[in-house]
Amino acid sequence: MNLTYVLKKVISLMFTLLLTAFLVFLAFSVIPGDPVTTMLGTQATPEKVAALREELGLDRPFLIRFVSWMGSFLDGTFGNSYSYHVTVRSMLAGKLPITLTMTCMAFVLILLIAIPLGIFLARNSGSIPDRIMTVVNQTIMAFPPFFSGILLTLFFGLILHLFKPGGYVSYTTSVPRFLGYLILPAVAIALPKAAMATNYLKASVLKEMKKDYVRTAYSRGNTTKGVLYGHVLKNAIIPVITFLGMAFTDMIAGSIIIEQVFSIPGIGRLLISSIANRDYPVVEAIVVLLAFLVILTNFGVDLIYRLVDPRIRSAMEE
Amino acid sequence: MMQENRSKEMILEVKDLNIAFHDHTLPETVVVDVDLQVYEGDMLGIVGESGSGKTMTALAINGLLNRHDIQKKGEITYKGVDLLTCARNELRQIQGNDISIIFQEPMTSLDPVQKIGRQVEEPLRLHEKLSEETYKERALEALRLVELPSPEEIYERYPHELSGGQRQRVMIAAAMICKPRILIADEPTTALDVTIQEQIVELLKKLNQNEKTAILFISHDLSLVRKLCSKVAVMKDGYVVEAGDTEEIFRNPRHAYTKELIAAIPAIGVKEYEKKSDEIIVSARNLNSYYPARTGKLFGKRKKVQILKDVSFDLYKGEILGLVGESGCGKSTLSKVLLGMVKDTEGSFVNKDAHPQMVFQDPYGSLNPGKTIGWILQEPLRNFTDLSDTICEEKARNMLKRVGLSEELMDRYPNQLSGGQRQRVCIGAALMAEPGFLIADEPVSALDVHIQEQVLSLLKELHDQIGVSILFISHDLRVVYRVCDRVMIMKEGRIIESGVTDEVFLHPKEEYTRQLLRTSGFLDENVV
Repeated sequence: MNLTYVLKKVISLMFTLLLTAFLVFLAFSVIPGDPVTTMLGTQATPEKVAALREELGLDRPFLIRFVSWMGSFLDGTFGNSYSYHVTVRSMLAGKLPITLTMTCMAFVLILLIAIPLGIFLARNSGSIPDRIMTVVNQTIMAFPPFFSGILLTLFFGLILHLFKPGGYVSYTTSVPRFLGYLILPAVAIALPKAAMATNYLKASVLKEMKKDYVRTAYSRGNTTKGVLYGHVLKNAIIPVITFLGMAFTDMIAGSIIIEQVFSIPGIGRLLISSIANRDYPVVEAIVVLLAFLVILTNFGVDLIYRLVDPRIRSAMEE
Repeated sequence: MMQENRSKEMILEVKDLNIAFHDHTLPETVVVDVDLQVYEGDMLGIVGESGSGKTMTALAINGLLNRHDIQKKGEITYKGVDLLTCARNELRQIQGNDISIIFQEPMTSLDPVQKIGRQVEEPLRLHEKLSEETYKERALEALRLVELPSPEEIYERYPHELSGGQRQRVMIAAAMICKPRILIADEPTTALDVTIQEQIVELLKKLNQNEKTAILFISHDLSLVRKLCSKVAVMKDGYVVEAGDTEEIFRNPRHAYTKELIAAIPAIGVKEYEKKSDEIIVSARNLNSYYPARTGKLFGKRKKVQILKDVSFDLYKGEILGLVGESGCGKSTLSKVLLGMVKDTEGSFVNKDAHPQMVFQDPYGSLNPGKTIGWILQEPLRNFTDLSDTICEEKARNMLKRVGLSEELMDRYPNQLSGGQRQRVCIGAALMAEPGFLIADEPVSALDVHIQEQVLSLLKELHDQIGVSILFISHDLRVVYRVCDRVMIMKEGRIIESGVTDEVFLHPKEEYTRQLLRTSGFLDENVV
């Protein structure tokens, strides 16, 4: 891996992030709805409002506020919550691992389902299992996670009694039970993505199998298995990597809803309650954090691409 | 020659080979009753146009027709084993080990994400258990055998870092690594530039002589086969119509199709040049054209690559001017410049025709698939004239007849037509508005030899009737010789030689022109 490439990329990522942060900050300073009014109620006297504005620093010019907000990122506090009077960092600290654990579990599930199934369906294209799975896949793809979340809760919780709805266990209490509770929400967000990834991989394998190099591989005395695992798979996975990257970022954002459905105290629930309270520092920090995760994921996808596909490697180094 | 072969050992025999596709409807027969014998160290050519069954025969010999929808009959015997009926793992022992194959498209025949070294070693890894060092040693040896420069470096490269010619050498190295007894070369030079073609052919010749590998050389190019192969089989519509000693067949072709193929090889010095007119239709002076190059840097300085260098020429009224060169030499850029499609151009050109027309190489891609043939033919009239719909339609019908197609095609769509028919439509559409200037960019390159001939005749006939001036761009010297009054040779963006066609073909001044002529079968003492 080329070090100057990584350095260049990191610098350009910082710029992207700074721009995102600026836009987020700008958006929250122009949208209607004043945190001070929310905190004090509509009956507050103008003096009180002015005093609180001054206390929160809201009377300062926009750019000054932005710079001091950025400063709070540098010292790692991410500013102070209006509602709880603690640093945003301390509020996020306990929530972020929950959301990330759930998303990563979902991602692993996607890989575990899509890769073997995609290959199997491509090898048996046109067979009865393939036709059945195509229909099943289409159906699953159409299921929004919150809906499958409700169905899963109903089935595993109320009928099979394998799952206690609302019985979230913190990872500080018991890691296995914490993970156990997250399985169903992870399945709910993973299912439609896994179905799509399966379809992508299957189509990609079928497309690669028609290429000339496959004929070359056969002409050398390879078995079908040898052709598939020795040549086709690495080529076929390349377009799927893009999708997996998008799926990952999508799932981080999508966790907001699924955390509501399963009453999981993650980033998503914090975001929703903070929006309701007009607790802008928290909202802004979460949005910037999500943007950071998206950018980071894309960077990771880029690096993986370069590892897998030598053509991209040299195109970028030119 | 035949006598000599009898003393050699026969290593492969194809007997009554029949291949049919079980498409969903009727089985379509592509190879019928083919018999072939390959002797030790043979150099056997199989000649025919696409669809003649030559590639199918080659794939069958290498055991690559294993799809369940393909029906095969007959015998392909190698060392007492029938390759058509033997078990898959028995076949795999032979594939790549005893019988190997290289293909037409070196650009796509290699796995794009695997290092060259690994791909060259693959056949050896599949057939022999050796140490890692030995694999590498043998791979380097094979890369040296195919005369690739610095094999150690190539070993670590990926396919996209190599040129087409180098990739074909890599394919050959992998095919030769197990020291096979038979190498099947399926149009190995067709996708390559002429100069590279010559090198690959030389390499195959050397391998045949030094390694004693029998080569089955499959090609549509009869003069190439004549240069390379001592024996030849001519295929048409799935049948072997004629087979035997190459020179004998050249002297006494018995089958009408063979005669036709031989007649299509150009004879030089029979054309008379007469200047058509003094009127100049297109005049170009010192054209320089540039193309922006990607630098990869975000704020880096934009670089430019010069494509055309000081190109000057005149095109007279009613003449066909040939423009010859290898791919990437700037031929197509020149045509774009003349149509005003390249902004970054210096120099001047005068074009007396307001609406120059073009015929492109790819008859499949250049017709709008969503429109009828009638609509396509009328398009230039709608754009450039105010004629009424009925007159336009009448003219389109006439044009269809003039390009040798039936009026019924008016309401058909492009995908219902064959390649040759489509190219006729393209020519017809280009001539509808009776332009004074037509650019034909490789108009027959995508067509079969047989169809090429018909389309060229048509183009020449219409040209004679209408008197349009044509800039005829091609890499194929035979085609150029057949139709052009004058010819220009282009190399790396520069016109290095130009003149009356016969003059250039008989007395080329530049070594590069001579090289082009040699690879196309001109300048060959065998060709009378």
